[in-house]
Amino acid sequence: MGKGISFGQFYPGESFLHKMDPRIKIILAIAYIVTVFLCQTFYSYLAIFLFLISLILVSQVPLKSVLKSIKGILYLVLLTAVINILFFKEGRVLLNFWIVTITLDGLFFSAKMALRLIFLVMGTTLVTLTTTPMSLTDGMESLMSPLKAVKFPVHDVAIIMNIALRFIPSLMEEIDKIMMAQKARGAAFDTGGLIARAKALLPVLIPLFVSAFRRADELALALDARCYNATDKRTKMKVLKIGYRDLIGSLAMAAVMAGIILMRVFLTGV
Amino acid sequence: MKGIIELNEVSFDYKSVDQTTVGVKNISLSIKEGDFVALIGHNGSGKSTLAKLFNGFLIPDTGDVIVKGMNTKEKKNTFEIRKKVGMVFQTPDNQMVASIIEDDIAFGAENLGVPREEIIRRVEWALSAVDMLEYKKHTPFKLSGGQKQRIAIAAILAMMPEVLILDESTAMLDPEGRKEVLEVVKKLNKEHNMTVVLITHYMEEAIDADEVYIMNEGEIVDFGKPEEVFKDYKKLNSVKLEVPIVSQVIALLQKDGYPIKNCLKVEELAEEICRLR
Repeated sequence: MGKGISFGQFYPGESFLHKMDPRIKIILAIAYIVTVFLCQTFYSYLAIFLFLISLILVSQVPLKSVLKSIKGILYLVLLTAVINILFFKEGRVLLNFWIVTITLDGLFFSAKMALRLIFLVMGTTLVTLTTTPMSLTDGMESLMSPLKAVKFPVHDVAIIMNIALRFIPSLMEEIDKIMMAQKARGAAFDTGGLIARAKALLPVLIPLFVSAFRRADELALALDARCYNATDKRTKMKVLKIGYRDLIGSLAMAAVMAGIILMRVFLTGV
Repeated sequence: MKGIIELNEVSFDYKSVDQTTVGVKNISLSIKEGDFVALIGHNGSGKSTLAKLFNGFLIPDTGDVIVKGMNTKEKKNTFEIRKKVGMVFQTPDNQMVASIIEDDIAFGAENLGVPREEIIRRVEWALSAVDMLEYKKHTPFKLSGGQKQRIAIAAILAMMPEVLILDESTAMLDPEGRKEVLEVVKKLNKEHNMTVVLITHYMEEAIDADEVYIMNEGEIVDFGKPEEVFKDYKKLNSVKLEVPIVSQVIALLQKDGYPIKNCLKVEELAEEICRLR
């Protein structure tokens, strides 16, 4: 692990993408999502694909780590693809038996949907891979700061996100310990049917909740001891700064977006 | 001389719907600036309650707690008092807010609105005071208990307190971790003139204290210099405390008429015994 962060998806590095401002990365991620939704033809999907590949190369994150993110949505992608193929009735019919009709347009459409989902997840994963959870919440806090005008507790929300991230590994450790303790008393977690297994988890969850509440108690005291909310004029040790990388990144994203829009307007075909 | 923390006939009860539990009753004491004070008692003796009265976490039912001339009862003093009186708790894991050590250390100073350059200076200082500077950019997860607790101390130090309260901060640690933490605390007391209040049930940890308070059932049953207090081992045993072996031996020898001076360390006792004919 080195000096790395043991949780979340962050992949430690010093690349161009790592050094970009988290706020800009969040905004660009949103722009990216919009751009992907604007894609209509396979040419534009190809453009996005090339853009994505170059981003991954720039980020210096191994392709394996990026691809891992798709694993989670693989079933979703397959399911939507199958449903799309089966229910798309327009266009040239390729196959027709019983109640199943498969059309060429249906195949194209479902392929595009699958690509859309995959590109969306890969692109946004790149943000979490190149940004520490801490600076991600910092960025969100900064982006949400206009909401302070309507008395929205922006900083509190940021602290909550931060603490949630901070406690994930602690709670994982706790689960491990409790499971081990219950196993030592003869609990079986990996035998029996679905219901039996779910039931077996109950003696794990209850101690976990109890200990989480106890932790919360002490954490609340510790926050108070460190003068949380002492002043409205809270300062920050790490100040976010927008640099030339953010400008270049924004320009690149803008170019891709413009290209996709132009393709949408002028390019016809599949 | 007026103490940095003054308690005047302070009582506090825990009240819930159907019952009242005594926290502490009728306690008066004064902690002098730069002192190393140990509060000792078994579980439920009221020592943690007393500590929480020191920094205004709890407000006394009767009596007053005065920190540097400020009464904890007045709301406007709350943050000023907490800034002066820092508190470290039992479980190091539950006191950390951020996932990177330097961010966690900075948290307290950020809350106080300290300017950025000053925060950076304080983080460096606090981490070197607990001897953990090299871990600045690390995550706390892989550290030992003693190291984590030192980080928790540094996190409090970054607020520049004048009093450091350790509420059973050594209870969850292994002997090695306990030693580390105590060494850091003693160093802070000696080199930075930090007033330290150490709450513990290990009497050995109180050996180097300037003053010891023994608590039982919410009351102070004895106080004074450790070598004086530890002599009365029967009384201490009666409040479920185990007296360090050195003090027990001295008490027994003195009872049999041997002219042995009070001391607390094994080496000193050995010297004393050798001096006997």
